[in-house]
Amino acid sequence: MSSSPGWLTDERESALLAGMLAPSSPVPLEALAAESKAITLRRFGRTISLYAPLYLSNHCSSGCAYCGFASDRKTIRRRLEPDEIERELLAMKKLGISDILLLTGERTKAADFDYLRRSVELAARRMQRVSVEAFPMSVAEYRTLAECGCTGITIYQETYNRDRYEALHRWGPKKDFVDRLETPARALEGGIKTVGLGALLGLSEPLEDALMLYRHVRHLSRTYWRAGISVSFPRMRPQTGGYEPPFPVDDHLLARMIFAFRIALPDVELVLSTRESAAYRDGMAGLGITRMSIASRTTVGGYDDTGRTDKGQFDVSDDRTAKEFCAALRERNIEPVFKNWEPVFNGPSDVQGTTMKPEEVHICH
Amino acid sequence: MDLLQLGNYSFTSRLILGTGKFSNSKVMLEAVRSSGTQLVTVALRRFNREQLEDDLFGPLRELPGITLMPNTSGASTASEAVRAAHISRELSGSPFIKVEIHPNPQHLMPDPIETFEAARILAKEGFLVMPYIAADPVLAKRLEDVGCTSVMPLGSAIGSGQGLATAEMLNIIIRESGIPVIVDAGLRSPSEAAAAMEMGCGAVLVNSAVAVAGDPPAMAEAFAGAVIAGRQAFRAGLMQKSGAAVATSPLTSFLGAKA
Amino acid sequence: MKEMSQMITIELNGKEETLPSGSSVSELLSIVGSDGKNVAVLVNDQSVRPENRSAKLLQKGDRVEILIFAGGG
Repeated sequence: MSSSPGWLTDERESALLAGMLAPSSPVPLEALAAESKAITLRRFGRTISLYAPLYLSNHCSSGCAYCGFASDRKTIRRRLEPDEIERELLAMKKLGISDILLLTGERTKAADFDYLRRSVELAARRMQRVSVEAFPMSVAEYRTLAECGCTGITIYQETYNRDRYEALHRWGPKKDFVDRLETPARALEGGIKTVGLGALLGLSEPLEDALMLYRHVRHLSRTYWRAGISVSFPRMRPQTGGYEPPFPVDDHLLARMIFAFRIALPDVELVLSTRESAAYRDGMAGLGITRMSIASRTTVGGYDDTGRTDKGQFDVSDDRTAKEFCAALRERNIEPVFKNWEPVFNGPSDVQGTTMKPEEVHICH
Repeated sequence: MDLLQLGNYSFTSRLILGTGKFSNSKVMLEAVRSSGTQLVTVALRRFNREQLEDDLFGPLRELPGITLMPNTSGASTASEAVRAAHISRELSGSPFIKVEIHPNPQHLMPDPIETFEAARILAKEGFLVMPYIAADPVLAKRLEDVGCTSVMPLGSAIGSGQGLATAEMLNIIIRESGIPVIVDAGLRSPSEAAAAMEMGCGAVLVNSAVAVAGDPPAMAEAFAGAVIAGRQAFRAGLMQKSGAAVATSPLTSFLGAKA
Repeated sequence: MKEMSQMITIELNGKEETLPSGSSVSELLSIVGSDGKNVAVLVNDQSVRPENRSAKLLQKGDRVEILIFAGGG
């Protein structure tokens, strides 16, 4: 069993953030909000970048205690076939979506690397930007995904508390804490342009997780200084599995965390999903959050309405349509941005830096 | 122990002294002594039989605890700098080399392209490369990537005494760097050296401010004290500067009352 | 014993210098007043280490650089 890396416990690194998050912190929430808003405005302007998730499959080999898709649950398992993926993509495009996050569970025979790769190829043909939130892969696998048009990998540590992590991940490859921790670095090493990090708030003591998540961001940005990093704040909500989060995070604490992250990490994309209510998302837009999912379905597929009534991974709280959500943003003087990437720049980033080598472009058909 | 780690050398002093512009070598040596410095820069020059006192190597060798960091000043290309580095290493035995390539004698700004080339080559050859650069955050990371031991961004132009004119860029470099950041050039006063250390610099390099002071050894001692104070303040955790003013209408009212 | 009439011209630190034919680098160093301890010597761009300086003989037209460490920032 490998030991945890030194950067995970470097308190000096996260001192600024700790000062803002501590319960005894003298800084009032409103002051943090004002500073966070000012920084967001300067750095990101009045825009929110929008994306939508597409669950390709809910097959899973892991035993995460908190997830409705854990391998011991009675959920009906299915995966999207290529023609279904095509239909989903077209349905999503009709809603205006052009930035997509493809999701699967942990590696299974039904939804393995090849399945994922082929799905990325399909998505890259239809969507301007394709990211993936799936199972940890090798550097070579990430490089292949990058060559096929994937520019982002989201992988949450879930919790940075090693004891809690090992208790919650009961079996399967996900049980390895350090391997999971090293996954974003492998993705960047493979030439993926952006990684999305996060802790599932509610699983462990949230302030500890926040500080270690911050240290993870700082550690990665020192080595992979050309890379984009985004931080999400998934907060445990009632879901199909019925897991009660032992460390619930209330609205105020979540807001405080988001503002503090914005102040401590002025250049990092901060992401809020549809786990949060409409009112919360509207309020946080422009105060620190710069990226949100829209019109989400957390069932397998679901955009191409076939009348299925499957249960999703988590219950969507903000179920507004894309149109409704965009109207709400515009009312707050924020411009929704659907396309913020040009696929001509797809392909693995050169981690070492170029010295005028000819670029090799792999085109997947 | 809060040591400055450069390669496999550990230093207790975070003040690096330049040896140029002093009125005479006796004053320079006194300043070196009173500063407590353990690392001094020297430049390769032609021997001059009429000015035997130009040679600093002899006298510096007699001071205990001093490591030499030869610079490549005079070089205007990477290959000249590499050549100077080889000669310097052979003469001094020190693996340190300050890559200093400034082709324009008016402003003495460093050439980033030649500097990068020279640094890349010398790092591969096992030198402890300390490149002198403009405060360019991306160049700093590129140099770190090729194996430099530190980066030395300027505070302001050599000898200009304009202090930390590049503070904003220095902050970015310090934040992003995995190797010590040593502010070099342009520092005029001990308070500026303290400010640089408070920002998180690993060390500062001072030359003109000490050499042309009224009393160089006393000034060197003042700089030493400032560097210690600034470093201690940094490690003690400075109070944050206050941020934006609070908005007139509450931004967080949508959150409702605290649970 | 060297014949005083046989002098050669070399280039030393960019300037012309005459010295007896067959002089070694060590001898050149004492002519110019250097004790050789704190100097680097290059002959035609090649470094001549201290232990080789008495054996290294100078030829007509050799370009010699004698370098020291002087003050610098």
